[in-house]
Amino acid sequence: MLELGAAASGQLSAAAETELLPPAVSAATKRPGFKRVPRKRAPVIAPAAIDPDSPVVLSVTGLQKSFGQTVAVSGIDLEVRAGSFFGIVGPNGAGKTTTLSMVTGLLRPDAGSVTVNGIDVWGSPIAAKRIIGVLPDRLRLFDRLTGAQLLYYSGVLRGLDDVTVRQRAADLATAFGLEDALNRLVADYSAGMTKKIALACAMIHSPRLLVLDEPFESVDPVSAVNVTEILQKYVASGGTVVLSSHGMDLIQRVCDHVAIIVQGAVLASGTIDEVRGEKTLEERFIELAGGRKVAEGMEWLHSFSD
Amino acid sequence: MVAQFLGLKVRLLANLFRRSPWQVVGIVIGLLYGLALAVGLFVVLVGLRFTGDPVALRDGLIVAGSLVVLGFLLFPLVFGIDDTMDPRKFATMGIPTRRLSLGLALSSLVGVPAFVLGVVLLGTVVTWSRGVFETLLALVSAALLLATCMLASRVSTSLAAFLLATRRSREFTGIVGVLLLVMTAPIVLLALNFDWGRYGLDLIGGLAGILGWTPLGAAWAVPGDASTGLWGAAVLKLLMAGTTTYLLWLAWQGLVARMLVTPGREAPARHYGGLGWFDSMPHTPMGAIAARSLTYWRRDSRYWMSVIIIPVIPLIVILPLSFAGVPISYLALLPVPLMSVFLGWTLHNDVALDHTAVWLHVASGTRGFEDRMGRLVPALFVGIPMIAAGSALSVSVYGDWAVMPSILGVSTSILLTGLGLSSYSSARFPYPATKPGDSPFVQPQASDTAAALIQSFTFAGSILLSLPALACALLGVFVDPVWNIPALVLGVGIGLITLVGGVWQGSLAFERRGPEMISSAIRA
Repeated sequence: MLELGAAASGQLSAAAETELLPPAVSAATKRPGFKRVPRKRAPVIAPAAIDPDSPVVLSVTGLQKSFGQTVAVSGIDLEVRAGSFFGIVGPNGAGKTTTLSMVTGLLRPDAGSVTVNGIDVWGSPIAAKRIIGVLPDRLRLFDRLTGAQLLYYSGVLRGLDDVTVRQRAADLATAFGLEDALNRLVADYSAGMTKKIALACAMIHSPRLLVLDEPFESVDPVSAVNVTEILQKYVASGGTVVLSSHGMDLIQRVCDHVAIIVQGAVLASGTIDEVRGEKTLEERFIELAGGRKVAEGMEWLHSFSD
Repeated sequence: MVAQFLGLKVRLLANLFRRSPWQVVGIVIGLLYGLALAVGLFVVLVGLRFTGDPVALRDGLIVAGSLVVLGFLLFPLVFGIDDTMDPRKFATMGIPTRRLSLGLALSSLVGVPAFVLGVVLLGTVVTWSRGVFETLLALVSAALLLATCMLASRVSTSLAAFLLATRRSREFTGIVGVLLLVMTAPIVLLALNFDWGRYGLDLIGGLAGILGWTPLGAAWAVPGDASTGLWGAAVLKLLMAGTTTYLLWLAWQGLVARMLVTPGREAPARHYGGLGWFDSMPHTPMGAIAARSLTYWRRDSRYWMSVIIIPVIPLIVILPLSFAGVPISYLALLPVPLMSVFLGWTLHNDVALDHTAVWLHVASGTRGFEDRMGRLVPALFVGIPMIAAGSALSVSVYGDWAVMPSILGVSTSILLTGLGLSSYSSARFPYPATKPGDSPFVQPQASDTAAALIQSFTFAGSILLSLPALACALLGVFVDPVWNIPALVLGVGIGLITLVGGVWQGSLAFERRGPEMISSAIRA
């Protein structure tokens, strides 16, 4: 089992540095290009490209949350550095959504702290929220607005001015392939389109940290590739993405760091290659999540009814 | 197969009792009410066996019975019942259509409406047991009626679920329901003022003559016609009733067959140009929130339903009072303050109407003040012209312009205190509301005593806070016109103070309790 927080010391100074360092410049020196070959068992190549000294953008310590008797999250620590593409995986009900909600200020933790760029999310929420973009899972949107209105609304709520919002909304609509849908109510969108407009809304204020809960759920493969590309460019220019997903393959391909959360605790965390070792991420995940249940007593399924 | 369907329905009914205690109490009250209704009607019908006027009895039963059949047919269409036995739920099980239709139709016999109807129909058999053939005919037509009503409600429930499945039509049917209710008000008034003693029998006789020859009333007429000696008519009407039942059975089978192979319907989406209100409001967070609220007031039936109801309320209050002999000049002063009460109150649970979508405001760190003020804009947009124009109209009917300050003061006070209290309560005490996209008539499952407390607190609060202005206004109208000016000053003053206080406290609550508002929306 791997432990994280190797660079726990010096975290504050690193965070303070970030504000002085323009993300684009720091990224250019630290992350040359993002053309990575999808690797199966290749040794360490890309993930190590992140400078271990790059500033910590998201730091989570001792995060806890219980709902009544059920413990959803029991003491999670995470550290995400600028310019990293951080995946969170875990079985259903492991506490991923709960964790991400607490990180983004949508759910009050019982204990623990979350700092983004050195700002305490629960201490000074308004300053912290300005630099976070959020895609929550299973929360509604204001779906009686048209796509265009929702984008505009998200932008203006984030404090952007009229001209900037319109410009960015148009760009985002093109990037996500939503131009034709902009004048329809979000309530009439398909699940995948709803996901895409929500993603666009999460990015419109160019946040430093994007927290995306299941961004690829019900998004078609073509759009998923588009979205991935947008996120990779964002990361390449110094942005940071934290996402949760069930697609192990996708995480292994796209992310440079990963944390495996099972029953509200981090069981493994680090670069993809550190976590997966000699196995694929999926194999490692299943091993950590309690192994596969062998299907016994289902012999009747193999003798068909007609 | 039929036994399994019946068993499933019984289990579904039994599961109703596995909910929260308050809901169980509600269900028990509903059941007792149904039982009492059934027993009461049965006793009355048995008693009618011994009356001597079979013609009047027949006519009365035809009219009442036709209304019952109509009710079974229309109720599901207008109010869109959630169908636990939707044929589509059995689509993957490969049951032959005929057997499925029969099973589902029979399963509808298990339930309170069928039980009440069955007992009442037994009562009619007793009523008409005035001879061997009459009794036989009564039995047959009672059976036909039970089948007709059950099939009619099955067909219309499925039609409602099938054809009105889209979001827009769901909202539309709700509106039709309200319009129907509003339209019945004059009918009820007319009925109350009708001279039943003199013309009642003639009217019912005339109606029964027509309805008895329609599918609605034919079966109800059969035993009555037989008892009054019209055997020919009885046989013809029995044929008509039988045909009706058979046709409904065919329709039900056809509908089941169609539904099994038709997936949910999607309405073509409408296109909207431009940004609507977002273009015309200031391009600030507050302006955007106001634009969002205005858009919702126009597009979301949960909002505009409550706005449509507002002008109906004074009508409902004033009509009985005018019949009771209150002079119209005084009644003319009532509508504007009454509408202000409800307009101020519409916002008292505004955050809960967003449901979980309010996360956007929380995640973007929206300031409480901007949120609170933005949400007030639509109510002010409606309220200010309503108070200005409405007061002028009221006073012109009243006939003395001296009371103008009073009515302005009272209405303003009620509206502003209502908005102030709502600004605070919607952020501090959101309680489960109708979810976005649901029919405005669907009440959330989890309403409890807290919800009732918040509703009455905000509702009564604005009236209590407006008592000073109201007292001055009453003195101004009935005692001395001098009091009219204090009514205006007190009303506007108290209204503004409450509004400022409510928005201030509401803003603090909104910023402090953002995550809690989301949690309560998720629980709802």
